[in-house]
Amino acid sequence: MTDKNPTIGSSVSLPKSELDNLLANLRKMGFQTIGPCLQDESIVYKGVQGLKDLPQGIQSEQLPSSYRLIQSGKPRYFDFIPGSHSWKQLLFPPRHTLFTVVKDGSWQFKENEDQEQSYALIGVRACELAAIHVQDKVFLRSDFSDPVYRKRREGLFILAVNCLDPDATCFCTSMGTGPKHTTGFDLCITELDEVFLVEIGSELGRSLIADRNFDFPSAFVQTAANQAIEHANESILRRLDTSDLPGLLMENLDADQWTDVGKRCLACANCTQVCPTCFCWDATDRVDILGKSSVRERIWDSCFNPKFSYVVGGNTRPNIRSRYRQWLTHKLGAWQGQFGVLGCVGCGRCITWCPAGIDLTAEVEAIRAEVKA
Amino acid sequence: MLPLDEIHSALHKVPWFNGLTVEHFNKIASLARLRQVKAGTIFFREGDRQDYVYIVLEGRVSLDIFVPHHGKVRFYTAEPYDVFGWSSVTPGMRQRTAGAEAVLESTVACFDAESLRQLAENDHDFGYLLMRRLANVVASRLMVTRLQLIDMFAGPVETVND
Amino acid sequence: MTILQQNPSLPTAVYPDKLLLPLWAEIVRVIPEAEGVTTLQLKFVDPQVQELYHFEPGQFNMLYIPGCGEAAISMSSDRESAAGLIVHTIRQIGNLTRAAARLKIGDLVGIRGPFGTSWPLETIQGMDVVIACGGIGLPPLRGAINKIIRDRTRYGKVTLLYGARTPRDLLYQSEYETWQKAGLDLQVTVDRGDENWTGRVGVVPMWFYHFKVDPHKTAVLTCGPEIMMRFVIYEALARRIPPANIYISLERNMKCGQGACGHCQQGPYFICKDGPIFPFSTLENIFNVEEY
Repeated sequence: MTDKNPTIGSSVSLPKSELDNLLANLRKMGFQTIGPCLQDESIVYKGVQGLKDLPQGIQSEQLPSSYRLIQSGKPRYFDFIPGSHSWKQLLFPPRHTLFTVVKDGSWQFKENEDQEQSYALIGVRACELAAIHVQDKVFLRSDFSDPVYRKRREGLFILAVNCLDPDATCFCTSMGTGPKHTTGFDLCITELDEVFLVEIGSELGRSLIADRNFDFPSAFVQTAANQAIEHANESILRRLDTSDLPGLLMENLDADQWTDVGKRCLACANCTQVCPTCFCWDATDRVDILGKSSVRERIWDSCFNPKFSYVVGGNTRPNIRSRYRQWLTHKLGAWQGQFGVLGCVGCGRCITWCPAGIDLTAEVEAIRAEVKA
Repeated sequence: MLPLDEIHSALHKVPWFNGLTVEHFNKIASLARLRQVKAGTIFFREGDRQDYVYIVLEGRVSLDIFVPHHGKVRFYTAEPYDVFGWSSVTPGMRQRTAGAEAVLESTVACFDAESLRQLAENDHDFGYLLMRRLANVVASRLMVTRLQLIDMFAGPVETVND
Repeated sequence: MTILQQNPSLPTAVYPDKLLLPLWAEIVRVIPEAEGVTTLQLKFVDPQVQELYHFEPGQFNMLYIPGCGEAAISMSSDRESAAGLIVHTIRQIGNLTRAAARLKIGDLVGIRGPFGTSWPLETIQGMDVVIACGGIGLPPLRGAINKIIRDRTRYGKVTLLYGARTPRDLLYQSEYETWQKAGLDLQVTVDRGDENWTGRVGVVPMWFYHFKVDPHKTAVLTCGPEIMMRFVIYEALARRIPPANIYISLERNMKCGQGACGHCQQGPYFICKDGPIFPFSTLENIFNVEEY
């Protein structure tokens, strides 16, 4: 314990082992600490106790339709780029019981008591935080506020991490979302070999750091961190030109490119599952065999699903071409008018996890080229 | 046979006639007869060899086809200023492919189609105007038929969950 | 109080803090309208909700049949004409609507709503009104028709064009005379008629050929199969009626009714909250894009 007083906006140098104590403190406060773990040759988000659960010495390599992890041998805990999981699954759970109806004479409701979930997200990347901010605009509005999302969002603790080793599918720089965090976190880590450089973003973050064995960072540490961030910035080569969006897509609904991508796309819905901003959902009833009770659930849905746009008398989007077009013109087009921002944060998950290797940045470029010709 | 000026004034109510030259109007008016009929009056039946073309002035005339197990199916009603029996004007069609029945008390103008065809043959200017009008009638009838064919009010073919 | 006042002039039956939890309503009357079409008249179980609940014609409720799910069903009348009851005319086209048709007096149904935009009855005051609808497209307009009749002098010529497949499918026939007596020019047509039918046989859009409209002061309200609406719009535009004066009611797959689940989108619009009633001018660019 030191008697130095860190301030919000300042940075401290934290020995890595102190992270264990910090997470323990969070748990004492009632948070569930959720972070990245190595599982099934990928990175998943689940409960983490401390450093021992984090993927030490792991780096990732991503290409369209490819995600690989390799041992780097480095003493780093956050060198990888996250996998198919995103924080969306905690704030907007894939399955959620809304209520039960039981027939006791007549039908009655039994509400689902939504347990208090206080999450501490460990290792949030800049694109992921940007995605949370996009989903805030979707789920928390003046005309409609999702109670499930709201309860989880209000108590959220965010321990952010600056990406230092972006992968080939990342394009956060084009969307203005990264790789460096700017705001919206409680704590933000830039990891060096020996220590964590931790920027304090909130009062809660400050109080957690104040209890730890920290140091004010040396010039060496600061410089090394800045250089690493600079290097990360420059290593992102994939680009999405957004200067003519949303118009480029919204005004070219009849482009040949849609037919082209429609032939390649399998409508597997992977992209919508892994995308941290996609928000479509469905509600289903599960009736027991006696017909005396029914559970109503909210589940994730996808505009690629065949029945997604079924109406009486037919389906308004019966072909994959029209469904892919719907997804992309919504994500990079209609979203802007609906929520004031584009729906894409440049995380690249859709490119990596598409089994057909479809790259939306290439699709946009192809449409641009077709329109200019 | 009603007096000529009564026929003339009745025909002048139909917009198309007002676009004709006086000469053309008089020619076609000379072929016209007015008929006032009660509801239920049949103008012609399927299969009839009958050679008139009609314009409804008042009332309603239904066109129908007899379909086994369905009875008489009315597939179109001609309202005031609608033409029916127009196939007489085209070369070739001489047998009626549908029936025409007044479903309300109606007044119609009927034209002997043979004379009309002669008129068109002898005076190509008039013939052109006649055929142009006919093309419009057929076009509008085709549009209606297509929409009926699409059967837009029918339920979906497959059963799915809502 | 369970009502959320999202809009002070439109009290709703929605729990603000519970996602998709409906309020119970009891079936008071069941009216078979035509083959495969049934009307349910409902009353909220909570008397306070029943008293305060308010909607405008054109809006819809999400009706919840326990164990089956929810469906978006338009309000099929105004409350005044229905003695305060909530009226829904439902066409049986799937599991849920078939289950709804089997319900009996006293059964409970869940309601969330009202959602969506309404027919712009105030905006079109002083104009001639052409209401062009077909099939199950008449119920969402009945509330508007009743309101226009109650305020008849505020509108010019009012024409109601209504089409159905056969004479047996015509809805609300017992009200036609009332509407005509109240000053509506009612033109009914069927796709095909039988021996006993002496009415019109044809399609609704065809009727534009038979009467003149003043494009400067005519509003068109249309609801029905999208094909019918498309041709009604063609005919209206051909007569130079401005797109902003043509109002259409769109239908898309709706799950939440609140612009949250993403299903009902067409282009940038959520049909459940930006619609279902739109002036055609806002849809011109996207309406005829195939499979959009």
